[in-house]
Amino acid sequence: MAKHIKGAENFHNLVPDYDRPVLKINEAGKHKLLEKLIALYGEETGHKYYPELERILKVYYAHKSDKMIVHEKEFEAEDRFTEEDVILITYGDLIISEHDRPLSVMADICKRYFEGVFNTLHILPFFPYSSDRGFAVMDFEEVDPNLGSWEDILELKKEFQLMFDGVFNHISSKSRWFQEFLNQNPEYRDFFTVFSTQGEISPEHLQLIVRPRTSDVISPFKTLTGEKLVWTTFSTDQIDLNYKNPKVLLKMIDILLTYIRRGADIIRLDAVTYLWEQLGTSCVHLEQTHLTIKLFRDVLDIVAPQVGLITETNVPHDENIRYFGNGDDEAQMVYNFALPPLVLHTFQNQNAQKLTEWAASIDKISDTATYFNFLDSHDGVGVMAVKNILSKKQIEDMALKVLEHGGYISYKKEGDGTLSPYELNTTWFSAINRDDEDEPLELQIQRYVASRSIALAFMGVPGVYLHGLLGSKNDAEAVLMEKSRRSINRRNLLEEEILTELENQKSATFRIAFGLIILIQIRKMERAFHPNSPQKVLPLSEDLFCLLRATPDSKEIILAITNVTNHSRKLDVDKQYIGTTIHTWRDLVSNTTYTSDNGSISLALEPYQVIWLKGINR
Amino acid sequence: MEYQVYQAADGAVEVIQTPVRFNIEVSEEFRIILKEFVDKGKYKIVVDLSQTEYMDSSGLGAIVSRISATRSHDGDIRIAAPKEFVKNLFDVTNLVEILKIFDTVEGAVDSFTAE
Repeated sequence: MAKHIKGAENFHNLVPDYDRPVLKINEAGKHKLLEKLIALYGEETGHKYYPELERILKVYYAHKSDKMIVHEKEFEAEDRFTEEDVILITYGDLIISEHDRPLSVMADICKRYFEGVFNTLHILPFFPYSSDRGFAVMDFEEVDPNLGSWEDILELKKEFQLMFDGVFNHISSKSRWFQEFLNQNPEYRDFFTVFSTQGEISPEHLQLIVRPRTSDVISPFKTLTGEKLVWTTFSTDQIDLNYKNPKVLLKMIDILLTYIRRGADIIRLDAVTYLWEQLGTSCVHLEQTHLTIKLFRDVLDIVAPQVGLITETNVPHDENIRYFGNGDDEAQMVYNFALPPLVLHTFQNQNAQKLTEWAASIDKISDTATYFNFLDSHDGVGVMAVKNILSKKQIEDMALKVLEHGGYISYKKEGDGTLSPYELNTTWFSAINRDDEDEPLELQIQRYVASRSIALAFMGVPGVYLHGLLGSKNDAEAVLMEKSRRSINRRNLLEEEILTELENQKSATFRIAFGLIILIQIRKMERAFHPNSPQKVLPLSEDLFCLLRATPDSKEIILAITNVTNHSRKLDVDKQYIGTTIHTWRDLVSNTTYTSDNGSISLALEPYQVIWLKGINR
Repeated sequence: MEYQVYQAADGAVEVIQTPVRFNIEVSEEFRIILKEFVDKGKYKIVVDLSQTEYMDSSGLGAIVSRISATRSHDGDIRIAAPKEFVKNLFDVTNLVEILKIFDTVEGAVDSFTAE
């Protein structure tokens, strides 16, 4: 197994080493690359641009250290993700201090409190940007000086694996690339999707386009040669890149490999659903988009097999999992977008039926691909994934309850012009708990930890947003101040404030973080929680969510049960559900031992109690 | 008491008039009033914002603090006569898409009785 080696530097040299033999791509690799280029651009153009693609790969390869080349030879794709993988999601400046650069502050806090808990850090876009909190990148290859430098990123790399954002769908209107387009520099004229007149885009075309925004998809810009209409899926400051231009694709592959040189172990393909624009279609998850991701995957398989791709596609579940490709040729990890709204629905209604039904349909993807199980991130709780799982009314009810808890709702425009909820803007703590409810804080913490336990036990790799780890509440005032609903869960925290909370065992922050850390540490010790270990969902009760996880050899079994209600519950688990007779079980959470004469188990769960029963087949 | 509360439409609709400054100092009381309405089975509520010049996030949050509870009982919380400042807040927060907003209290009350 070749995981990240703690204390190892980045394994890449800053300058290429051309004394070493140049990368040789085997015939199978060449065929895969060329096949994709031809499928995207046609026979002639595909062949024309192939040599440049090969050159980019060779240059990247020349940056690898000898140590890394040896390291990669030991790499086994099946163990890219293991039970030890738990990802902490954070902005580079979510914790700030007067005395140091935000990335340096983050490194200090992560090393001090989260080493041995999280092994991977997802630092949300840390590049210079002009809006959308980093997602309107002005320069893909620099670190925002307000956050720190590449040296700070390397410092984090010493202790953690790193996940970088590939914000490859669009670029800032303030970027040099777009400014050169406005100057009508021939090199950049085709970098964007441009129309000269509105007549080129019919109302029928516009109606077909599916987008998570209600703003105009076409934005006018004054250029050297007059006004041009430019494709802007997200905002007028986020200009879609034109992947129909092979030069754009090659440039982005170069940047992808630059990120790997700079320490990325996982690349998150942001908003990748919208990568290709094709008038007359919905412009979402087109075949060309999948081909482009597959090409990225081919590139990584050839020169950086240890690096994984994760797609972020807030779309209905069936479409979302198409980004796994055949399980071995597209993303290695996909955001499990259906999980957060289903867990939220479960806890809002104190009923696990819908979650249980859906979870029973989740199968292992392949030995090399798995789900990314998150409940919260820098964005809200996306609801598109459950469009075909929950009824319209159930989604609406869920949204209204989030509103009651002080959150907000973002809408998207459907093809017919109507609006439907796209995401719920809230912190996870406020989504699960009501601030003005007359109930003890302890119960709210138990409810919160219980909700999160589901993502920690579920098949896949879990991720926790920093505000989720700390149990932050909605920052509703920031929404008004910044005129952005997503600001509700993006509050920058003062280092001193966080340190005080984390050092005070009586604080809610400590109790929440500690409760989650305990579960994470248990998870990391258990092979049955390997992302691809078998999973069986037990439909034992609507009050409980029950998962059976097992090691591939079935020697170790974990029965993960979460009481999703505020009532005590009794449960008898018949041995037929377990599939084997185990006489002694130990709850890994409470360290309580349960014995059984006939293989069946009787349990009593307190409100929102989490039990992870481990049994060993002897 | 910061709020004027009265019934309209022969007791079918509850009307609450909010103060000039609808902020964190007074929003808790508003939440309590709404909760009491819901606890008593009064689900048709009009929030009269005609006097409110300033509102913060706690005021906004208080308005929708029982929106699910009322709608799940065939009721609603409807807005009357918001000033420009408040309308802007509804825009920013998307509440404009969720709440039914009327120019007058009468219009809001009538919307219930017309159903």
